[in-house]
Amino acid sequence: MTESKTLTGGALLFEVLQEHGVKHVFGYPGGAIMPIYDALYHSDVKHFLCRHEQGAAFSAVGYARAADTVGVCLATSGPGATNLITGLADALADSIPVVAITGQVPTGAMGSDAFQEIDIFGLSLACTKHSFQVTDIDDLEKVLYQAFEIALEGRQGPVLVDIPKDIQLAEVTARFDKLSHLENKVQLPLADIGNALELLTTAKQPILYVGGGVGMANAIDEVRDFANKTGMPCVSTLKGLGAINPDNENYLGMLGMHGTKAANMAVQESDLLVVVGARFDDRVTGKLDEFAPHAKVIHFDIDTAEINKRRKADVAILGDLKANLPQLSSTLDIAPWQEKLKQNKIDCAWRYDHPGENIYAPAVLKAISDKMPTNTCVTTDVGQHQMWAAQHMAFDDPSNFLTSGGMGTMGFGLPAAIGAQISRPHDTVIVVSGDGSIMMNIQELATIKRYQIPVKILLIDNAKLGMVRQWQDLFFEGRLSETDLSDNPDFLMLARSFDITAKEISKKHEIDAAVEEMLDHEGPYLLQVKIDAAENVWPLVPPNTANDKMMESV
Amino acid sequence: MKPTTLNKYKLIIMVDDRQVVLERILQVTRYRGFLINGMHAEVNTGNNIGTITLSVSSERPISLLVDQINKLIDIKGVEVDNSEELVAASI
Repeated sequence: MTESKTLTGGALLFEVLQEHGVKHVFGYPGGAIMPIYDALYHSDVKHFLCRHEQGAAFSAVGYARAADTVGVCLATSGPGATNLITGLADALADSIPVVAITGQVPTGAMGSDAFQEIDIFGLSLACTKHSFQVTDIDDLEKVLYQAFEIALEGRQGPVLVDIPKDIQLAEVTARFDKLSHLENKVQLPLADIGNALELLTTAKQPILYVGGGVGMANAIDEVRDFANKTGMPCVSTLKGLGAINPDNENYLGMLGMHGTKAANMAVQESDLLVVVGARFDDRVTGKLDEFAPHAKVIHFDIDTAEINKRRKADVAILGDLKANLPQLSSTLDIAPWQEKLKQNKIDCAWRYDHPGENIYAPAVLKAISDKMPTNTCVTTDVGQHQMWAAQHMAFDDPSNFLTSGGMGTMGFGLPAAIGAQISRPHDTVIVVSGDGSIMMNIQELATIKRYQIPVKILLIDNAKLGMVRQWQDLFFEGRLSETDLSDNPDFLMLARSFDITAKEISKKHEIDAAVEEMLDHEGPYLLQVKIDAAENVWPLVPPNTANDKMMESV
Repeated sequence: MKPTTLNKYKLIIMVDDRQVVLERILQVTRYRGFLINGMHAEVNTGNNIGTITLSVSSERPISLLVDQINKLIDIKGVEVDNSEELVAASI
């Protein structure tokens, strides 16, 4: 324990951050958070000035996800605080531990519609795991400790702490008490391993369905051991990618709306789903009533509320996946099922022999995936490029593929990559973005310039909001409403104005050299890849349709 | 419009008397698809434990709401009072 000392609220914040091992924070100053920024001036915590609070929030998310730690962001009251909300909502949807600190007008002015006053405490209720507003300096230290505990315990998530300006300036004697401030109120039922084993050993066509909770539970080794020992065919959600070794011969790829045909068909035919850290998301299940219609379900999760939420579990095993899953491990007699699915995987393998001279986006992503160094971290934005990255790039750890899964937030990729690069300075970080998404947080190119962050930006440019355009073509009779982006800026000039080296390619023979140049470049780099605007992401399970009725072309 | 069947439930929620705990419960209840038909809340100032009695109705099973309320940080426990479970029809 650090010895007690008298500090201002602002100084106390940074002392507590350092007590929690926080070395880097992301933020943007303003009037109601000036005492905290004054304390930052004297602190050893390194602050990264983002160019919009949403960028700061996403950088904190990327930092947290890439390094399996807590991300911290700061913003002032009013618009600064409201600009954090999308990032917090994204962190809540994907269960990411983030602590957000907001300045607030002085307590005496609160509730008077003061300048830059907004009830961020009230606004936070729907987009955080928990939130606090500190109205007594004597509560500040305990609240900050609780914020970190809550962000990390159980199913992780974002916590907001709103600190009025007078509390930031007030003095208090800090104790730095590391004891837990939370009550352990939920008693989880004993795991029903016996029934689960019975289901597993009698199944003839089981599937291991792996979600984002595996990486968060630090249970990758246990899940891989389970997959290897049982020999179960495996599928992954978008957020689970990397949890299963992509070289596992029984791994079938991503399931769901843009999942592989082999994965979706296997799930539909299965007689048992062993679900680890996944939640039957609607993008995974398609038409819920027809999802894996013959399968019983063993559901492992840390969150009681996920059990039976969308699909009834025959056996639910709550708690720590790392401890629980090995108890289920068993050898299985499923050779005919394994062989059938291996053949399906071969029959449904991706092809990259696209006709013509223009660039087929999946081929670029495959080339990068093949050439990128070990432990490269890839972030994406949201849209066609995101699904192509999920389909055609291989990841060996979930912390190497950061994408906005639950919220599906355009604008995530660039600031998340900044955060990832700061948390992992020795690893290559690549943003895969689209020409629609990148404009959502384009101001963060200034953050890259300011700190010379060597992020590589792969811009898949079809001058369209491609995924929406695809749906308009397929499901709205081709009425292309507000999806044309042919008036985009000159991305090469834009990048160069931020001292970022930039290059454009548009022919397939240019791919290999351009990818190598980007990966070999020491500083930040933007590679603009122009593709045909009519390209679609296949396969596609249409809305409210069973996953075995996927479209594979028009 | 097809008539829907709403199940009625009464929840008894024990809480720590902390900031906005009532707002959190109301927000979760609405978001998870339950209508609030009635409410009573009081705090025991001796131990700062609040008791909130919430009458709700929904097509959805009450376990979905109970699990979500239980996840809130300041909740000590949630009980469903089955003695008054009713079924009502609405349009």
